[in-house]
Amino acid sequence: MDPKLTEVNQMFARFKAALARNDLNTCEILLSQLKVQLTKFPSLPPLFQQTPNAVEELKLARDIYEHAVVLSVKLEDQDAFERDFCQLKPYYMDTCGIIPPSPEEYPILGLNLLRLLVQNRIAEFHTELELLPVKALEHPCIKHAVEFEQSFMEGAYNRVLSARQAVPHETYVYFMDLLAKTIRDEIAGCSEKGYDSLSISDAKQMLMFNSDQELHQYITEEHPEWEIKNGFVFFQKAKESQPCKEIPSLQLINQTLSYARELERIV
Amino acid sequence: MFTSRCRRLDSSNHTSETRDDTPKPSHLHLGGGVRTVMAAVATVSSASGLLAMLQEPAAELKLHALASLNSVVHLFWPEISTSVPTIESLYEDEEFDQRQLAALVVSKVFYYLGELNDSLSYALGAGPLFDVGDDSDYAHALLAKALDEYASIKTRAFKAAEEEENIDPRLEAIVERMLEKCILDGKYQQAMGMSVECRRLDKLEEAIVRCDNIQGALSYCINLSHQYVNHREYRFEVLRCLVKIYQTLPNPDYLSICQCLMFLGEPEPVASILDKLLSGNEDDVLLAYQIAFDLYENENQAFLLNVRNRLTSQTSLPPNPDNGTSLQDDQTTNVDTGTEPAGDVQMSDDTTTPNGSAHTVDPNQVAHADRLSKIKGILSGETSIQLTLQFLYSHNRSDLLILKTIKQAVEMRNSVCHSATICANAIMHAGTTVDTFLRENLEWLSRATNWAKFSATAGLGVIHRGHLQQGRALMAPYLPQSGAVGGGSPYSEGGALYALGLIHANHGEGIKQFLRESLRNTNAEVIQHGACLGLGLAALGTADEEIYEDIKNVLYTDSAVAGEAAGIGMGLLMVGTASEKASEMLAYAHDTQHEKIIRGLSLGIALTVYGREEEADTLIEQMTRDQDPILRYGGMYALALAYSGTANNKAIHQLLHFAVSDVSDDVRRTAVMALGFVLYNEPEQTPRIVSLLSESYNPHVRYGAALAVGISCAGTGLSEAISLLEPLTSDVVDFVRQGALIAMAMVMIQTNESFDSRVGTFRRQLEKIILDKHEDTMSKMGAILASGILDAGGRNVTIKLLSRNKHDKLTAVVGLAVFSQFWYWYPLLYFISLAFSPTALIGLNSDLKVPKFEFLSHAKPSLFDYPKPTTQQTTTSAVKLPTAILSTYAKAKSRAKKDAESKANQEKTTEDASGSTSGKVAKTQEKEKDAEAMQVDNAAEKKAPEPEPTFQLLTNPARVIPTQEKFIKFLEGSRYVPVKPAPSGFVLLRDLQPTEAEVLALTDAPSTAAASTGNTAAAAGQQGSGSSAMAVDDEPQPPQPFEYTS
Repeated sequence: MDPKLTEVNQMFARFKAALARNDLNTCEILLSQLKVQLTKFPSLPPLFQQTPNAVEELKLARDIYEHAVVLSVKLEDQDAFERDFCQLKPYYMDTCGIIPPSPEEYPILGLNLLRLLVQNRIAEFHTELELLPVKALEHPCIKHAVEFEQSFMEGAYNRVLSARQAVPHETYVYFMDLLAKTIRDEIAGCSEKGYDSLSISDAKQMLMFNSDQELHQYITEEHPEWEIKNGFVFFQKAKESQPCKEIPSLQLINQTLSYARELERIV
Repeated sequence: MFTSRCRRLDSSNHTSETRDDTPKPSHLHLGGGVRTVMAAVATVSSASGLLAMLQEPAAELKLHALASLNSVVHLFWPEISTSVPTIESLYEDEEFDQRQLAALVVSKVFYYLGELNDSLSYALGAGPLFDVGDDSDYAHALLAKALDEYASIKTRAFKAAEEEENIDPRLEAIVERMLEKCILDGKYQQAMGMSVECRRLDKLEEAIVRCDNIQGALSYCINLSHQYVNHREYRFEVLRCLVKIYQTLPNPDYLSICQCLMFLGEPEPVASILDKLLSGNEDDVLLAYQIAFDLYENENQAFLLNVRNRLTSQTSLPPNPDNGTSLQDDQTTNVDTGTEPAGDVQMSDDTTTPNGSAHTVDPNQVAHADRLSKIKGILSGETSIQLTLQFLYSHNRSDLLILKTIKQAVEMRNSVCHSATICANAIMHAGTTVDTFLRENLEWLSRATNWAKFSATAGLGVIHRGHLQQGRALMAPYLPQSGAVGGGSPYSEGGALYALGLIHANHGEGIKQFLRESLRNTNAEVIQHGACLGLGLAALGTADEEIYEDIKNVLYTDSAVAGEAAGIGMGLLMVGTASEKASEMLAYAHDTQHEKIIRGLSLGIALTVYGREEEADTLIEQMTRDQDPILRYGGMYALALAYSGTANNKAIHQLLHFAVSDVSDDVRRTAVMALGFVLYNEPEQTPRIVSLLSESYNPHVRYGAALAVGISCAGTGLSEAISLLEPLTSDVVDFVRQGALIAMAMVMIQTNESFDSRVGTFRRQLEKIILDKHEDTMSKMGAILASGILDAGGRNVTIKLLSRNKHDKLTAVVGLAVFSQFWYWYPLLYFISLAFSPTALIGLNSDLKVPKFEFLSHAKPSLFDYPKPTTQQTTTSAVKLPTAILSTYAKAKSRAKKDAESKANQEKTTEDASGSTSGKVAKTQEKEKDAEAMQVDNAAEKKAPEPEPTFQLLTNPARVIPTQEKFIKFLEGSRYVPVKPAPSGFVLLRDLQPTEAEVLALTDAPSTAAASTGNTAAAAGQQGSGSSAMAVDDEPQPPQPFEYTS
C-alpha cells in the first residue's frame, strides 16, 4: 500500500484514539495535520484523478471529515462545523458510484439540517432538503429535523422543546440546546410585531424565562430598543415606520417632455 | 489586430451554459450500473467545499483551496462571487505568500461578473501569474482591456504633452509582454497594430525589424497609419519612424519612402533621393521617374514645387554657383514662381539651361541634365498632363447621339435645360479637346445669353482641360481685348477667364500673370467674377500674396456677383494653408450685407482649412456657432474639408448632430452632404450611415444624403450605394430627384451594364426623364447632367478622391466641394472636371515615350468594356429590319475578330493590329451604319454565338478602370517589364531589348490637331461658320486593310 496512505491512516488512528479519550486539543492538532495531508491526494475533490488508490483515499478522506464534523460538535464550534461539513459534502454528493455510501451520511446531513434550523436559516434548510432523495426522508435523523422544522413553522414551540428527549443520535443534543434560544428569538420577533406592549409577567411567560432578572438581561442584550416602563414592555420604537417615498413627479414630467421633443427632432 | 477583442460581451453566457453541462449531483445515478458511473462521474458540483477550506486557519489549506478555485473558477464563479471579499482580504494580507494567486482568482470572478475595470486592476495585481498566452476568453478580454487602457492613457499623455509618470508600470509590463509574445509567435501584424495604437514606436520598430517580410510589414504599417491613426501629429511620427526603418534597409524601397516623405511634407530628402537615383544606372533613372509620377498623382502642388526647386539648386549650384537662375529658384520657392515668364514651353527651356549643357561637354553631364529636365517635367505635371491629354483625345469614346437626343428633347426656351445640355457636353468631352458637338450646333449654342453664355464659354475650358500650350490661343477669341473695347460681351469674356482657370487648374504658372492683368483691367463685375474663379483655379493652393491682394481688392468693392467669386477664389488660393487670412475673411463676411458674398466667403474660409484636421477646430467652432445660417453652412464645409477622407468619429458625430438639429435647411443639407467628404476613404460606410437620413421627411436632408453617397462612393459602382439612391431617383420632390440622379451618375461612372445591370436601367431612366414633356425642370436638369457625368471625359475618366496610394487628391476634393455649390450657382458645375482622373495604364520607356506593346487583362472583356454606343430608336421600324443589319454587322465583327486573333498569333507589333483597335473600328463602322440606317437592335447583338473569352489583350496605352487594375498582368516574355509591382496609371517600363527599334504610340497627333483646333476655334468663334476640320481629325484611321485580307 502507498506509504502516504498508510501514514495518514496511522495518524487518523491516533486521532480516533484521542477522540475516544475525549482529548479534544490533541484531536484538533491532529485534524489540521490530517487535512493538510489530504490536500496531497490528487484523487480527492475537486481534482478526482483516477489513481489506483482512489477508492481508499476517498473513503479515508470522507471518514476524516465525518469525524471532523463530529469533533466540531463536541467543541461546540458552529463555524468549524459549517466548514467541515461543506468540505465533506462533495464526498456525499459527487463520489457516489466510486465509493459506497457512508453509514454516517444521513445522521450528519440531519445534523446539518438541525444546525440550519438553529441558526434560523430556513431558506438554506429547504435548499438542502430539496437536494435529498425521497428515500432519505424516511431516515429517522432526517425525519427528525423535518418534523422540527414543521413544528417550528406552525409555531408549536412546545412540541419542539419537548422533543429534546427523543434525539436519534447523541451528537444532536448540542443543537437541541441551542434551539431554545432560536425559538425565543422567534417569539420575541413575533410579539414585537403583534403587540404594542406586554406586561412583564406576560412577557416572561411568553419568552419562557423563569425570572424578571433573566428577562431584563435578555432585553438589554438582544433588544435594546425595547422599553420597560410601569411594569410593561413597550415595543413602540421598533415600529417606527419608514417614510414612504414620494413619486418624483416633476422629474418624470420633465423626462417625458424631453423625450417628446427628441422624438419630434428625429428624422 | 482588432479581432482579438470584442468577445467579452458574451462570455458570461458561455459560462452559465457550461455550468449546466456539468453532471447533476449524483443521486440520479444510484440506480445505474456502477461500472458506467465509475467512468463518468467524477466532477465537482459545487465550490462550497473549497470556499469552506479558505476559512481554514492553516495556510497550506488556504493555498490549496485557492489553487483549486483558480482551476474551477470558470464553472463556479457565481458561487465564488459571494466569497470574493474573503479572497480579496487574502490578497491584501501582507503575510500571505500567494497574494498574486488570490488576485488572479478575484480578477477572474470580476471578469465573469462583467466588471472589467476591477478585473483588470486585480489582474495587474496578479503579476506574472496573468498569462498573456492563455487562449481563454478571460485572457483575451483582459488583454484587450489592458491594451485599451494603456492606449488611452498614452494618448492622453500625448495630448497633454506631459511625461508618462502616471502609467502603472504593471500595466506597461503586461502590454510589453503581450507585444513580445506576438512577435515571438510571428503575429507581426498584431504586434504592429498594437504598438501603433499604444504609441510605442520603439516596439513598432522592433516588430518590423524582426519580421520576416520587412517590406510587407512596412507597407502594412503605412496603410495602418492612414486608416487608423486619427491624430495628425502622431501619424507623422509613425511615418517618420517608418522612413527611418526604410532607410536602414539594404535596398530601400524608394517608392514607399518618397510617399511617406510626401505625407510628412519633407521635400529635402525626396530631392536627394531623386538626385541620387538620377545619377545611377538606367534602372535607377526609371525608378526616379516612377517616383516622380507617383508623387505627382497626389497633386500636392506646393510640395512638388519644393522638390523641383531643390533638385535644381542641388545640381546646379556646384557647377556654376553664380548663375542667376539659382537665385531665381530661391525666389520662386517663396513667391511661388510668380516671377517666371509665362508659357510652359518657355519654362521647360528655362529649367534646362541652368545646367550649363552649353558649356560643358561631358556626356555624363549632358545625360544627367537631360534626365533632370525630364524629371522636372514630370514633377511639374507637364508630362503627365500631356500624355493624359493625348490618351483622352485618342481614346475618346463619347457618344454624340446621347447629346443629340438631349438637344432635341429639350425645349429651346428652357434656359436651365439648355445650359445643362451645354454643361453635359462639356463634361462628356472633358479633357478630350473634342468640341465637335459645339461646332455642329453653333446656332443652337448662340441661344445662351447672359450667364448662360458665361457658362457656355467656361465649358470650353472643361473640354480643353490640361491643354496647357494651346489653352490661351484657344480661348483668345473670347478673351477681353486689353485696351480696346472688345466686341465680346462681358459674359463670354468672364466665362473665358474662368475657362482659362479650368484649363490650367493647379498648373497655372503660365497663365497667372495674364489672369491678374485681366482682373486689374476691368471693372465689369461679370469679368471680375470669371477672373477671380480663374485665378483661384490656376493658383490653387499656392498662397500667392500678390494674387490674394488683387482678389481682395475685388472683394472690397462689395459687389455681390464679383464678391462671391472673390470669396471662393481666395479660398482656392489658400487651400489647406490654414492661414491668418481666414479670420480676415470671416470679419468681412460679418460686415457685408450681401448674402452671395457671405456664401462665397464662407466656402472660401472652409477651403483654407482643407486637411488640417484638429488644427481647424477653433475656426470650425467659431463658424458653427455663428448666428448667420450661411456661416454655419460654411462651417459644415469647413468640417467636411478639414476632416476630408479621415472618417473621423468626432467630425461625423458633429455633422450628424447638425444634420438633425439645425434650424436652417441649408445647413442641414450641407451637413449631410459633408458626411460624404469625411467618409470618402471608406465608401462602404457611407450608405449605412446616411441610410436613415435618406428617409428623412425633410427633402433637403434627403438631397444631402444622396449627394453624400454620390461623393463618397464616386466611381465605385458600390451596390449598396446604388440601392440607396435608387428610390431617391423617383422621389416626390424635384430637387431630391435631381440630386439623386447626379449622385447616381457619380457612383456609376465607368460601370457598365454587364458589371451591374442597374446601370442599364439607370440609363434608360435618364432617357425617359429627358424625353418626358411633363417632367419638372429641376429633375430634367439633373438627368441631363447625370448623362454627362456618366460618360464623362469620353468615357475614359472616373471620379477619384483618393490617389492609388490612398492620399487625398486635393484638386479632386476641392473640385467636388465647389461643385456641390451648384445649388446656388450653376456655373460652378464645371468644377466637377477637377475631380476627373483618367483611367489609363500608360507605359513609358526611359525617354518618357509610349512604346507599343501588349499586356493582359485577365477578366472577361465585357466586364470592363465601354458601354455600347446608343442608337437612335425610332419606335416601329426597329423591329422590322434587324436581320439585315445583324448579318452584315455580325460578319464584319467576326472578320474583325478573326483578324485580330491571327495577328495576335503572329505576335507582331505592327501598327494597329491589336484587338482593341480593331474592335473599335468595328464599332465605329457600326456607328456609321447606324447613322445611315438610323437603327440597330441591341438585343440582336447579344445573340452573337461566340462564347466570351476570359481574358483580353490590351495595347499600351489602354483604358484600365480602377476595378480592372487587379486583373492586369504583363505577358511573360514581354519586351517590357514594369519597374513597380501592381502597375497602374503611369508605369515606367524597363526595356529588355534596348537595341531593337521601338514602335511608339501616342505620337504628337493631338498637338497638331490642337493647333488646327485653335485656328478653327478662332475662326468659328467669331463667325459661327465652323468647318468640320475637327470632325475629320476625329475620324479614327483610314479603312483598315484587314477587311479585304481574309
